[in-house]
Amino acid sequence: MRLPDRVTGLFLVGLGAAAAYGGWQLPPVPGQPVGPNVFPLVIGTGLALCGLAIAFGIGRSFEEEEHLIPVEGGQPQPPTGKLYGLRVLLPPALLLFYVAIADRLGFILTAAMIVYVTSTALGARWKVALPLALLAPIGIHLIFSKLLRVPLPPGVLPMPW
Amino acid sequence: MLNTLTQAFALITTWEVIIAIFAASVYGLVIGSLPGLSATMATALLVPVTFYLSPIAAIATIVAASTMAIFAGDIPGALLRIPGTPASAAYADEAYAMTRKGEAELALGAGVWFSAVGGIAGTLSLMILAPPLAEIALSFSTFEYFWLAFLGLMCATLVARSSPVKAIASMFIGLLVACIGIENPGGVPRFTFGMTNLFGGIEPIPALVGVFAVAQVMRAMLTPEPPPIPRRRFGSILAGQWKLTKKYNWQMTRGNIVGIIIGVLPGAGADMAAWVSYAMSKRFSKEPEKFGTGHVEGLVEAGASNNASIASGWVPSLLFGIPGDTIAAIAIGVLYMKGLNPGPTLFTEKASSMYAIYLMFIIANIIMIPLGIIMIRLASHVLRAPRATVMPVIMLCCAVGSFAIGNNIFGVVIVATFGVIGYVMEENGYPVAAMVLGIVMGTMIEQSFVTSLIKSDGSVLPFFERPIAAILAAMAIGALIWPVLVWVWRKLKRSPVPATSAR
Repeated sequence: MRLPDRVTGLFLVGLGAAAAYGGWQLPPVPGQPVGPNVFPLVIGTGLALCGLAIAFGIGRSFEEEEHLIPVEGGQPQPPTGKLYGLRVLLPPALLLFYVAIADRLGFILTAAMIVYVTSTALGARWKVALPLALLAPIGIHLIFSKLLRVPLPPGVLPMPW
Repeated sequence: MLNTLTQAFALITTWEVIIAIFAASVYGLVIGSLPGLSATMATALLVPVTFYLSPIAAIATIVAASTMAIFAGDIPGALLRIPGTPASAAYADEAYAMTRKGEAELALGAGVWFSAVGGIAGTLSLMILAPPLAEIALSFSTFEYFWLAFLGLMCATLVARSSPVKAIASMFIGLLVACIGIENPGGVPRFTFGMTNLFGGIEPIPALVGVFAVAQVMRAMLTPEPPPIPRRRFGSILAGQWKLTKKYNWQMTRGNIVGIIIGVLPGAGADMAAWVSYAMSKRFSKEPEKFGTGHVEGLVEAGASNNASIASGWVPSLLFGIPGDTIAAIAIGVLYMKGLNPGPTLFTEKASSMYAIYLMFIIANIIMIPLGIIMIRLASHVLRAPRATVMPVIMLCCAVGSFAIGNNIFGVVIVATFGVIGYVMEENGYPVAAMVLGIVMGTMIEQSFVTSLIKSDGSVLPFFERPIAAILAAMAIGALIWPVLVWVWRKLKRSPVPATSAR
């Protein structure tokens, strides 16, 4: 997901301008010269200026290239397909899946699915992923629900404790 | 004094605290030693647990876990050349070279021994520096607080190992995130887009968990798995460390001092301390040609430095609520949660709690030696845990932990969102630490800024009128224009070269 500086810079200009405009629109405190509108105005302007500087490549010379440490024996090259890069969105997608479904399905089942999918995506075989998906949710449930009394959703499969 | 000390002892000698320190130490050692799981992430995932502990036990877990995790990062650094935490990256090459020479024991022993020494030195600095600074800080008005917070944010951008413009942009993004909610001078909903869940603002802790933990799982999706550590038997770990201490006494002290200074600077943490100290050690060494070939000198200095910065990072956190680094930013969140609101009065009103914190730092650094040695011996077993079993558990902890903070499912949405934001920013060279500091300090800096403006009736002049405010302002503005000066200087120096080559 390496974007050109021009793109991220211009995005920041837009974000900053929107923030400054949004801040400017806020109602002031009656009888006060400054209110909730000042800070977003300052921040938004600053962000937009930074965005401009980045888009024009100012300060680029300071950037140090990531100090990559090669591993002995050569690294296995990851497969590069068109859809391979989309895997990166799996963790946040799974978290949103949890938000959407946990209340209905309950913690244990939702968590088991998340563990199985994450584990498989990282290259585990089902012999590893399946027991993990069974045990990890129960362990986490034990710690958070029993010990720390976090009200986790019981759903269709409530735990006996 | 003696009375508060006995009170402090009483506070930490409860079973709850002892178990908390021990469990958090083991947790910190394991997470810290797993490549890709940083000390900041270990601490952030611990916060939901601290929610349910007593104040002292909660702080104890943070102190113990962060101290251990910074040391434990040395273990895979030395054995695999993959630093367990960013703070060990500076000398991972050197330590690995020593392992290849058959000196793994010496390298790891130096890691644990000088980390402990550095941690204790950092704690002493915290004990000595904080009370007198608190006296001065009592007379601070909003002007000084504004400049102090501003200086803190500028330091965070200065030390980032990327373009300062991008660091400043990250900081602004963080401040913008802090604008969300109704906690502003007018009490109006700001940038909430009509969502009730945003009225309370974005909590720093779920944002931190997202940026440091979820983003890391995302990165793991695309990077190949690190190789497992080869099994080996270790000889005596501590043998020869006393000799090293005597031989490199000055290097160790210098590392401690540099670590303390960098820790106190807001925004600069253990990784910066290690880089600076390692570079310094090489620059001033009598045998610089040995560096990079498995020479222990740099390890001594940088190892002492990164752990010293952990304790001294608490100085600005406890005094002003300005985090010394990202771990201290988490600690501040915990302090607020537990009713120990940072501020100079903390040292007079809650003196026994402060002494308890000092004592916990010292205890954590002492038990680090035996626990660290056990961890080194077990490393080849622990580090065999494949990523495909660790990362799913981290995912669950992210989901449950962020929910537990407010018993609000919206926390999980925040974690997921900030995971994406953190990942994209890091990929494009925007340092996330600067954004995190912006989020943590946003409310404070806005409050001091707007209150000051109201007091001065909209004029800027009073910002510079009080002596301490003027000094802080000069430093902050200096930090702001410093990168510009460097940039202009580099341009001037470089411009003749392409001109001649063009002909």
